[in-house]
Amino acid sequence: MADKRLEIKGVSLNFGGLAVVADLDIDVNEGEIVSVIGPNGAGKTTLFNLITGIYRPDAGDIVLDGKSLVGLQPHQISQRGVSRTFQSLRLFLNMSVIENVMAAAYGNTHAGVFRSMLRTPGMRREEREIREFASQRLAFFGERLMGYRWDQPAYSLSYANRRRLEIARATATKPTLLLLDEPAAGMNPVETHEIAELIGRLRDEGGYTILVIEHDMHVVEGISDRVVALDHGVKIAEGTFDEVATNPRVVEAYLGTKAAATK
Amino acid sequence: MDTFIQLTIDALTLGSVYALIALGYTLVYGVLKLLNFAHGDVFMVGTFIGYGVLQLLGGAESPNVPVWALIPIITVAAMAGCAILGVVIERFAYRPLRDAPRIAPLISALGVSFFLANSMQLLFGATPRTYNAFDLGNGELYFKGFDIGNVRVPLLRIITIGSAFVLMIALYLLVNKTRTGKAMRATSYDREAAAMMGIDIDKVIRFTFILGSALAGAAGVMFALRVPTTAAIGFVAGLKGFTAAVIGGIGSIPGAMAGGLILGFAESYTQGYISTKWSDLVVFSILIAFMIFRPQGLLGRADIRKV
Amino acid sequence: MTDSTPHSSETPASGPAVGQDEWVARHAERRLIRGGPLAPMEERLRAVPWWVWLTLFVGVMCLLPAVTASGYVRRVAFDTVLYMMLALGLNVVVGWGGLLDLGYVAFYGLGAYSYALLDSDQFHVHLPAYVAIPVVVVIGAIAGFLLGLPSRRLHGDYLAIVTLFFLQLFQTIATNGDSIFGHNVTGGAFGIFTVKPLHAFGHNLVVQHQGVFAVTYYFVALGFFALIYVALRFVNLSRTGRAWRSLREDPLAAEAMGMPVNALKLMSFAFGAAIAALTGTIFASLSASVLPLTFYFVLLITIYTMVILGGSGSMRGVVLGALVIGPLLELLRDPNKSRIIFYVALIGGLVFAFRRSRRLGIVVAATLAFGFVCHAIAGALHHSWIAGSADGGLQHVVSYWLIIPKHLAGWIPPVSYVGVICVALVLTLVHGRLRLVLLPPTLYLAAFVWDNVMLTQPDPARYIVLGLILIALMIIRPNGLLGERRVEIV
Ligand SMILES: Nc1ncnc2c1ncn2[C@@H]1O[C@H](COP(=O)(O)OP(=O)(O)OP(=O)(O)O)[C@@H](O)[C@H]1O
Ligand SMILES: [Mg+2]
Repeated sequence: MADKRLEIKGVSLNFGGLAVVADLDIDVNEGEIVSVIGPNGAGKTTLFNLITGIYRPDAGDIVLDGKSLVGLQPHQISQRGVSRTFQSLRLFLNMSVIENVMAAAYGNTHAGVFRSMLRTPGMRREEREIREFASQRLAFFGERLMGYRWDQPAYSLSYANRRRLEIARATATKPTLLLLDEPAAGMNPVETHEIAELIGRLRDEGGYTILVIEHDMHVVEGISDRVVALDHGVKIAEGTFDEVATNPRVVEAYLGTKAAATK
Repeated sequence: MDTFIQLTIDALTLGSVYALIALGYTLVYGVLKLLNFAHGDVFMVGTFIGYGVLQLLGGAESPNVPVWALIPIITVAAMAGCAILGVVIERFAYRPLRDAPRIAPLISALGVSFFLANSMQLLFGATPRTYNAFDLGNGELYFKGFDIGNVRVPLLRIITIGSAFVLMIALYLLVNKTRTGKAMRATSYDREAAAMMGIDIDKVIRFTFILGSALAGAAGVMFALRVPTTAAIGFVAGLKGFTAAVIGGIGSIPGAMAGGLILGFAESYTQGYISTKWSDLVVFSILIAFMIFRPQGLLGRADIRKV
Repeated sequence: MTDSTPHSSETPASGPAVGQDEWVARHAERRLIRGGPLAPMEERLRAVPWWVWLTLFVGVMCLLPAVTASGYVRRVAFDTVLYMMLALGLNVVVGWGGLLDLGYVAFYGLGAYSYALLDSDQFHVHLPAYVAIPVVVVIGAIAGFLLGLPSRRLHGDYLAIVTLFFLQLFQTIATNGDSIFGHNVTGGAFGIFTVKPLHAFGHNLVVQHQGVFAVTYYFVALGFFALIYVALRFVNLSRTGRAWRSLREDPLAAEAMGMPVNALKLMSFAFGAAIAALTGTIFASLSASVLPLTFYFVLLITIYTMVILGGSGSMRGVVLGALVIGPLLELLRDPNKSRIIFYVALIGGLVFAFRRSRRLGIVVAATLAFGFVCHAIAGALHHSWIAGSADGGLQHVVSYWLIIPKHLAGWIPPVSYVGVICVALVLTLVHGRLRLVLLPPTLYLAAFVWDNVMLTQPDPARYIVLGLILIALMIIRPNGLLGERRVEIV
């Protein structure tokens, strides 16, 4: 029996009368990769926003390692070990590639303003460590991000590399639970394949528990220990990929949408 | 009691001027999400247009037109002049920046505000200009009126307050009942979606500036009928107008009216009962209280973060 | 300027490698393409560390008193150093924090007034500088913190209005502070005029030496400037600086990445306020008096113009901005210098717009011709129309070309002023030949307005120029002279 890391218990959220998430229950176990699928507007991103404290649930509870996350500020939740990427990329575009990653180390570093102004030896050492740490995070992507000059502004990266940089940045908060919102969106088949592999490596080498939203069924099939399907904010199926993909309600939800569930 | 009535009338007059200015802020903010700092100075230009037209018509003492037509004429002139000014400002200072970072049009607006105030100072100097409203119809508008207790409510006040409310109701109907008004509301709700639905965004924005600036022009005349005007009044008037809009709930038309009146009452009573000097402090406290306890304002919607 | 603008769109011989961005692959080449004999020098200049530049800059500034003995020039230089400090402080809030702080100069005023109360005859308190200055800086920081507090959950626009109102409130309090519960605290509209110079260990830092501005204050100000610059530079490259810039870029992402956005905003606010307050102490101790109206909208716009012109976010930039705007405002006070600046700016603008093309010559010639014709017609109509030139110098030269009437009829200033604005605006709408045709009359009209309307009142005229610079910058080059080109997140 694996330990439960994240428990979403009966969570609901309304936007002006519209139930975007309704009475949702999801558990994520230690070291698991759980995929969340569902048609557009199903409430997947909203689920992430609820977990990371950007929205506050109208009802229900979100528990991480036995402690509730509800009511905490997003940065406090980040310090509890939850980190995420954004579907609509939200990099610090006018900062350099490495600074993007270094900035995310804020929560687990300590030098205050006064020490920074005086540039004390301790502060300088910490600064070196942050840089070293950030380089490691970037190096995780091997060739892909290594080929760049890290002092370039982030806006000079291509779309796919911005996605990679977002993942690198997310891991720089030293999380234990990683939320990836459509990491393969906008990538070509080769890159998509790579991302799928990378997510596996993140779990195996980084030791993260991963919750991932993905539309590409090949990726979902390749990486998931478990799949949760949402539609209209309601969980309609849960289980292994094959169970979910053949579930009639899932097929129905996807009928007429681009990602065919006929596999 | 008499003081109270007197102060209440003052509050209504001042409040309706603030409300008219606040409406301009709220309308523009609703559609463009832009804090139009230059609005207070458009108001100031309105007071000067009114003054200029009044002089052209022979001045308050011996006008060339009947007294009953005088105030409407200068009001309409100020409204028209300000509307043109508003459109020009939008076209040249804000439109090029519509897709720029959010801080860019704000700074451009600061520049416009500064430019207008100093241009008027350059052209008309620093001496206060007065409409001499006392002389209108040999004082009739001032000394006639009706009495509440021992307090005489001058005709001029009644006209001012009345026309402010007429303008506000007209605006409310315009925004809620007409096609253009619907387009405005659609644009303020979601500009991209509105554009995709075939709404001409440029036209809507221009129209918004016409409405807002015309109201500022009318407010300018009402204001200057009471107090002499200078090129420097735009700053404070704009500040108060925007505060009123924020207190009422920015983006909300009834909110702007309510906010304006609240401000008018707060200032008037403070000046009457406490001290003329500290009304700014009271208004600032109200603003801070709203920021802490009800940041969306009296009638505004709490905004949802877009992710 | 060190911007590396792309000069060529040629595709490089070797295409981008697989998995690499095309844009990035060409990046290095774009830099190299900026060729010419200056290129190696530029590379070498780029490699010079920042502290060398700073030392050089401060060193050159220090030499100024050796070059000129004029008390006026030294005073202007001193003011410019204060402007540079103020611009650096505002840059923390606006350029890094991305917060529109419109109450900034109120903190400057607060610093000046606090110092005035701590070292003047107002309450007969006379604290030495090493006590007074830290106290004032702390007061400034606390005030900034408190003002930011109610606004912390709100986004930029609300902050702007609260801070702007704070500026107004500061005015009210300073102006009416001569009877707070019967006590005269701020000296009212006339301010406090018994402020003592900085003093420590029994020595006074004298302000004037035999009626001439003493340079010691200039050196003190430069010292503080260098201190602030270094401190800010260090903070910017620390985790706090990165966090500030992150929240400017995207507050929500910053929050999700573990940065306490509210605390950081408050910190940047307090930081800016503390720097402004520090500058206020120097100002108050030098001026020996503080007046409410010094710290108002005009100064606010001046400092914003400096920050925006130089490039908000870039420390070198905002210093440059202060270095340009400070003396410019001073020069514009004097009609003769103002006239020179106008024509220099005019010709500079034309050269910038047309480069060295033939059209430049055409426009200049046409403007000259147009002027002479107008001048001749006006002179033929009535002699007094062209008999207005009183001073010698440039105005005398120009008066052979420009109409300078002896008396301006009342309608001329408004009509010509509004006229030139309208024509200039129309000019931005038309293109091609029409623009070329309209340009000479516009330029002539502008010269007419400048000489006959603007120069008669330097004060509004100077500020009109500031306003115009702000608007034009936002539209033409929002990143300013040295600012990084920003990409907006959509
Ligand atoms: N801030 C908001 N205000 C109002 N409605 C919202 C808001 N955010 C999301 N919604 C609505 O909630 C629903 C779910 O949105 P969500 O972004 O979670 O979908 P999703 O499953 O991530 O879809 P996609 O696959 O397109 O990313 C949508 O109908 C959306 O319009
Ligand atoms: Mg989504």
